[in-house]
Amino acid sequence: MRVLEIGGGVPAAFATRFFAGYGADVVRSEGPPDALTRDEEIALLAGKRRVGVPDAELRALALAADLVVEDGRPGALAARGLDPLALRAEKPALVVTSLTPFGQSGPHAQFEATNLTAHAAGGILSLTGVRGRPPLANGANQAWKLLGLNGFAASVTAYFGALLHGEGDWLDLSAQECAVGMLEFHGPRSAVDGLPSPRLGNRTTAIWGLYRCADGYAGVCALQRQVKALFEGIGDPELMQPRFLDPLERMKDDKELGKRVAHFFSDKSKAELLALGLRQRVPFGAVLTPRELLGSAALAERGFFDEVATPEGVARVPGRPFLGLDWQGGALATPAADTRAVLRDWLGAAA
Amino acid sequence: MKRLPLEGIRVVDLTMMWAGPYATHRLGEMGAEVIKVEAPRAWDNVRTLFPIPGDEPWNASFYFNDYNREKMGITLDLSQPRGRELLLALVAKSDVVVENYRADVLDKLGLGYEALRAARPDVVLVSMAGFGKTGADRELVGFGPIVEQMAGLASLTGYGDDGVPYKTGISYGDPVGGLAAVSAVVLALIQRRRTGRGAWIDLAQRETMAEMLPEAFVAASRGEDPVHHGNRHPVWAPQGVYPCAGKEQWLALSVRSDAEWRALCEEIGAPEWAGLALAERRARHDELDARIAAWSAPQESVAAQERLQARRIPAARMLDSDSIHWDPHLLARDHWDFLAHPSTPPYAQPAPHWRLHEAAPRPRRPAPRFGEHNREVLCGLLGVSEAEFAELAAAGVIGEAPVGLVIG
Repeated sequence: MRVLEIGGGVPAAFATRFFAGYGADVVRSEGPPDALTRDEEIALLAGKRRVGVPDAELRALALAADLVVEDGRPGALAARGLDPLALRAEKPALVVTSLTPFGQSGPHAQFEATNLTAHAAGGILSLTGVRGRPPLANGANQAWKLLGLNGFAASVTAYFGALLHGEGDWLDLSAQECAVGMLEFHGPRSAVDGLPSPRLGNRTTAIWGLYRCADGYAGVCALQRQVKALFEGIGDPELMQPRFLDPLERMKDDKELGKRVAHFFSDKSKAELLALGLRQRVPFGAVLTPRELLGSAALAERGFFDEVATPEGVARVPGRPFLGLDWQGGALATPAADTRAVLRDWLGAAA
Repeated sequence: MKRLPLEGIRVVDLTMMWAGPYATHRLGEMGAEVIKVEAPRAWDNVRTLFPIPGDEPWNASFYFNDYNREKMGITLDLSQPRGRELLLALVAKSDVVVENYRADVLDKLGLGYEALRAARPDVVLVSMAGFGKTGADRELVGFGPIVEQMAGLASLTGYGDDGVPYKTGISYGDPVGGLAAVSAVVLALIQRRRTGRGAWIDLAQRETMAEMLPEAFVAASRGEDPVHHGNRHPVWAPQGVYPCAGKEQWLALSVRSDAEWRALCEEIGAPEWAGLALAERRARHDELDARIAAWSAPQESVAAQERLQARRIPAARMLDSDSIHWDPHLLARDHWDFLAHPSTPPYAQPAPHWRLHEAAPRPRRPAPRFGEHNREVLCGLLGVSEAEFAELAAAGVIGEAPVGLVIG
């Protein structure tokens, strides 16, 4: 499978990264020099070949590909002579995936956007953070990552469709639409009652929240069927009363319950709380940093991380997203390093 | 009409809550025939997470009905031998099984990969437990927020002045895991097409969540720990989320260059600041924020957005869970659909957001009522007789209402 990445921002680079790991020949046509930070470059471009070619050759590469993924402004690709519909007319099996903040059409299609503004337009921002302070964006550019992840899943689906039915398609994915349909119960509830959900900070309810613990922060998320086991694990006899056990009664005393849970968490370590969760079969979690995860024995046992050699040293990055299919971590090429080889391999004599 | 990519693929959906159902919803939207399997005593908890008035609250959950469209629904008690036999008969006629049980459950039911493979040698099984099927953490249980904490994302999110990590306001790990599961299904189908072999995918939701922050692991490889930036950008300035007129109305804006900064200064009436270089803007970010907030606070968020966009400055009104349904851009793109459901009045539901320009998928099938397709699937597809159908109902192997209903 041949994949051509055009544009160079996080969404396209993120989407095609997984194709590279699963064995596709992924070629990246460089975007603007500042499209990715150095850390993003290391994380997202390993395993890809990198070319710098004029638009005429880029067009030829697109027609030699099975999948083109791009994240330029709507119309930008056509302006370079790579109109997705024209490419598709020439090669019906081709899949073209366009990843943009607001999609290819509509009054905001040409809006200037960044990860933050796209995040704001998608609704998730409105639900994160605490009341009394501004809404809070997630770390690590999640609007772009979510768009890229959708780009990967949708692209591989359309490519499979092309294998099955002989025809590709042009996919128009917007960061905003990727987000507004996944607001959990908040989206459909507001559609029904017309009321926006408030930001609830780290506690949706007392038994669905994040608390300070002895060595950091830890969380619990219990369904009704897990409540009794949770309260038994906490060991506070007061909690075994109907006003806390009954799901409807409990909401009336949620604030008090929150105080009791917070008190319980306050002198426990993350390890103690995770062990308790395991013992009680209740979902407990701990806020772990990437550095702690790099040292995780469980992730090491599952062979989760790849190593990427760089002039600055070896970086360890998430490798295969799941087990069960062959995955190959790749090396990081320098910009345009593979131009000649790719033109030879993909265009043959025409190069 | 052009065919959807997954037409001809049948999926047995053993998933519940949100991560798995989010995945199988996407598969259904892309044309797969998805058959969701619940049990009379073990239904998808999302049906009954909140109290819903009415005679059949389990069929009237807007939360369930939003994320389970494009699926048929049957019930089978997998703790009974006949329930398991029927499931295996269904698997024999299917291409894919997706499950998000706790890691040990499928095996304990006697329905692990080998059992499924005996029924369908080239079956694709995607198991999506929170922490995977192997490894020291495999017995941990978790929902989306737990996954987010355990994958590093919560450690990266915070206002920056209090050291507190924040969880996302949704169970973000769920749809992220779901999207990865879709790609796992399809990649395995591509491999099957090429080799004739099925596959067993072991997807740990914690790992798919960690994939969403790869650059943070590069920094961690250098020994760095997360820095909370709030809504600020690590390089550009200013950037933030600013108040607008009205309750909880906000505007997000970013300034990426000196030219955008000069344009913003002109807009907010601060020409004396137009010459500030990036380093100065970063150093005086608090001061700049106060000035921008003073400009934005009396304005409607839509008007402020339009004024800044007219100057080519990235800005967006913050949409909330209600205003998303009235956003003119989404309405112009025909993003919302009002699919009829027998147990709920129509309300705005998102149309397929994977817009295939030519195949143009639209919502086709409302979420199934509990056991709605028992007869169609068991009798029509698996050849169960009417007499046995009645016996299955009498024995509680199938049912059309949850047994032992609880809320929460």
